[in-house]
Amino acid sequence: MITINRRNLSLAAGMAAAVILTAGALIASTAHSVTGIAPGRTAPAFTAEDSNGASVSLSDFAGRIVVLEWSNDVCPFVRKHYTRPPGNMQGLQADAAADDAIWLTIISSAPGNQGYVDGAQANQLTEERGASPAHVLLDADGALARLYKVKTTPHMFVIAADGRVAYQGAIDSAASANVADIATATNYVREALTSLSTGTPVAVRSTKPYGCSVKY
Amino acid sequence: MKFSACFAALFGAVLFLLPASAAPVNAGHARVELISEREAALPGETVYAALKMDLDNGWHVYWRNAGDAGLPPQVLVQPGSDIKADAVGGIVWPLPHLLPVVAGEIMDYGYDEEVVLPFPITIPEDAMGPVTLDVIADYLICEDTCVPEQAHVKLKLETDQAEANIRDGELIGKWIAKSHVPFPGEARVQKKNLDWALSLRLDGGFGKVRSVRFFPFGHEILHPADQKLELGRHGATLSLTAADDSAVSKPLEGVVVIEHDDGSRTGYQISAAEGAPLPDTSGLGPAGGAVGLGVSAWKLILLALLGGLILNLMPCVLPVLSMKAFGMVSAVSSGHAGEVRRHGIWYTAGVLVSFGVLAAIIVALRAATGPVTLGFQLQSAPVVAVLALVMFAVGLWLMGMFELGTSLQNLGSGLADRDGDAGAFFTGVLAAVVGSPCVGPFLGAALGAVMGHSAPIVFVFFLAMGFGLALPFLVLSFVPNLYKLLPRPGKWMDTLKQFFAFPMFLTAAWLAKVLGDLAGSGAVAWTVAGAVAVAFAAWLWHREARLPRILAAVILALALFGVAERAMAPAPAIGSSSAYAAKYEAEPWSAGKVQSLVAEGRPVFIDFTASWCATCQVNKATTLKSKAVHEFFAANDVAFLVADFTRKDPAIAAELARHQRAGVPMYLWYPAGSDEPQVLPEILNQGLVTSLPLTP
Repeated sequence: MITINRRNLSLAAGMAAAVILTAGALIASTAHSVTGIAPGRTAPAFTAEDSNGASVSLSDFAGRIVVLEWSNDVCPFVRKHYTRPPGNMQGLQADAAADDAIWLTIISSAPGNQGYVDGAQANQLTEERGASPAHVLLDADGALARLYKVKTTPHMFVIAADGRVAYQGAIDSAASANVADIATATNYVREALTSLSTGTPVAVRSTKPYGCSVKY
Repeated sequence: MKFSACFAALFGAVLFLLPASAAPVNAGHARVELISEREAALPGETVYAALKMDLDNGWHVYWRNAGDAGLPPQVLVQPGSDIKADAVGGIVWPLPHLLPVVAGEIMDYGYDEEVVLPFPITIPEDAMGPVTLDVIADYLICEDTCVPEQAHVKLKLETDQAEANIRDGELIGKWIAKSHVPFPGEARVQKKNLDWALSLRLDGGFGKVRSVRFFPFGHEILHPADQKLELGRHGATLSLTAADDSAVSKPLEGVVVIEHDDGSRTGYQISAAEGAPLPDTSGLGPAGGAVGLGVSAWKLILLALLGGLILNLMPCVLPVLSMKAFGMVSAVSSGHAGEVRRHGIWYTAGVLVSFGVLAAIIVALRAATGPVTLGFQLQSAPVVAVLALVMFAVGLWLMGMFELGTSLQNLGSGLADRDGDAGAFFTGVLAAVVGSPCVGPFLGAALGAVMGHSAPIVFVFFLAMGFGLALPFLVLSFVPNLYKLLPRPGKWMDTLKQFFAFPMFLTAAWLAKVLGDLAGSGAVAWTVAGAVAVAFAAWLWHREARLPRILAAVILALALFGVAERAMAPAPAIGSSSAYAAKYEAEPWSAGKVQSLVAEGRPVFIDFTASWCATCQVNKATTLKSKAVHEFFAANDVAFLVADFTRKDPAIAAELARHQRAGVPMYLWYPAGSDEPQVLPEILNQGLVTSLPLTP
């Protein structure tokens, strides 16, 4: 026999709340069906934990330009852009900050796989590399990467102040792991940021990202 | 100590003296070597070199399109190279393999173990003495992780004469043959949102295939997505998933890789414009097991359930069922309802176990004999012919032309007479086994429908059929009064049985049409004659005397064998490109042969070739085996001769020398009536060959 006492009651209430929340989230997610990662679409909303344990949502930065950078510090293609000199990624982060844009570095490697880091290691990496992201988001279950259909590192997104995807794809035009190629390559992210800040249309809005596969 | 040091120094010196090409460079996870089809080449000549890569176990490098991640290898010509970057052509990419990184999510295209990447190089016109090719092979190599590697490799070629490197030439030629060739058919893509249908039309179809996969040059499609295959009489259709819904109107380009029944692979380069699917590129079902009727698995299972239900109406099942139902009503009225229900369940179990065993036997037989022999392919003419005869025979049986296995029905009924659960169980088994004279022919037809499906589906199919057979009994055991709804056994059962003959005859007619498409009207005529023989055999069997029965068996065996053998003959598909390619046979060259052909007034094309000559393989793949060239040769009655220099032949060597050529390839063209040949360039193309002058 099940007796109804206070404890059972609160348990039932908690479960009911969980069910309602899940259902609500499902309805909410289907309601925003025009989201997508194609340029011009509203960037899919997300909430994730950063390297300091804080909860970060895309909606926190409504009205500001947001750059998403998928990273895996061991991947040679990511290393290419962090190597100093020329420190391509660090320079881009500084430029973005000067434009008042929010830079989110996302790490989607699963525990045990190449590139996985915990919060402390992520902060140490930022320190060592002289990087300046606003947040490093830890996406060990790959949910964020799957939401944005990310398959390679590095993969970059520039989200305009109106929440729409302004650019998605490779960081630049030189699909190689060779640092020397950075000098002659066209940096699509910088071009997109410049266009957004000067109010001109973004010329190249989508490219095929190059690099290592995401270590789901 | 001193001695070994001396030895080491000597050994090092020997290594140093070896030509650069003989020493693979270990760049970490791959041994890379630069090889060439030649030891020596003449100034201005274009020959093939190649990067030979021997990869660590489990590591891979990429195709020209790496897929979701990765990069293709690059040949970076160094400033010090005598052969400059503009004299080095693009890589002839061998067909790639699928490299699933994360199942269903990330797919790459590339190579495992060993790969040879050939590319053409042109010797400088002003070369004096040996020339070097000095390159860096720049590639990304991945296992779970990726490492960019570089191997600095060199090659030295003499330029005083033309001399083949037979070992490396063979290897390069072999890998060039693994590349794609132009598609001799037509390709089109139909786009419906994210669902794209790539239809590939090729006269005569693709034959027996294991799989067909499209490898795009770009990223228009989702690389990890399954590509459902549907075959047609003249080609195939692949279902692709678009990467996004952005409307791009560029043609879809890439390579369609066909894995044949014997494991070999062919790659066709296609450029598919947007448009409606091409005719006859679907309708025969997927590869490796045509459903034929094109019904999906769940529909088959529903049909199986329905088929099982219909079996209850057969003359050898319904009387038994009625009798049992009557017995159940009296048992329930005397207060044994629970027992009757248990019997119903045991009976169902008995039927299901029997059908399950049958499915297991079929699956085991199929596994033992391989998919080729039993795999139900409606592309195989003998199978279609015999199936048509079986359908016809089932029709005759339904009409009552002959009886089957009536003695079986009495067998083992002792078991079913036992009381209790065991008795009920064995009644179920008997309904399936002893009812086989009725059930068997239907099962035969059903077998055809499911043979191409996977083992679990075969099981589910047969269990559904068994459940259909057991269902009325099961329902009656719970609600015995429903027996009033049961139709009474009677003459109508025979009428119904006879009626079912007509769908069978129609099926046979449809199969005859399929056979006609596959093997021509001759095969259909033989199959109809076979049907007459089957009918004759059935009639003889009906006499019920020994001699006619033996005769009947002999005629039946002869008919089946004869039809299958006649239908086995290849389809006389004259005019289709694949048939033409198979028919096109080159004749061996001899000086006398040329003279007599010239005297006949025929134009003559002579291919001086060798298996170790990579350039020859390129010309063969791109030009000499192409549909356009075959049609040009056929239309103009061109004699095609081959002088095979794979083994040194003094007569061929003399002919090469007569035209101031040191080696192969050499192509000679004799316009009609001319005994003075034109020496064609070493690199052929279709336009060049098809515009050759027919008269001097």
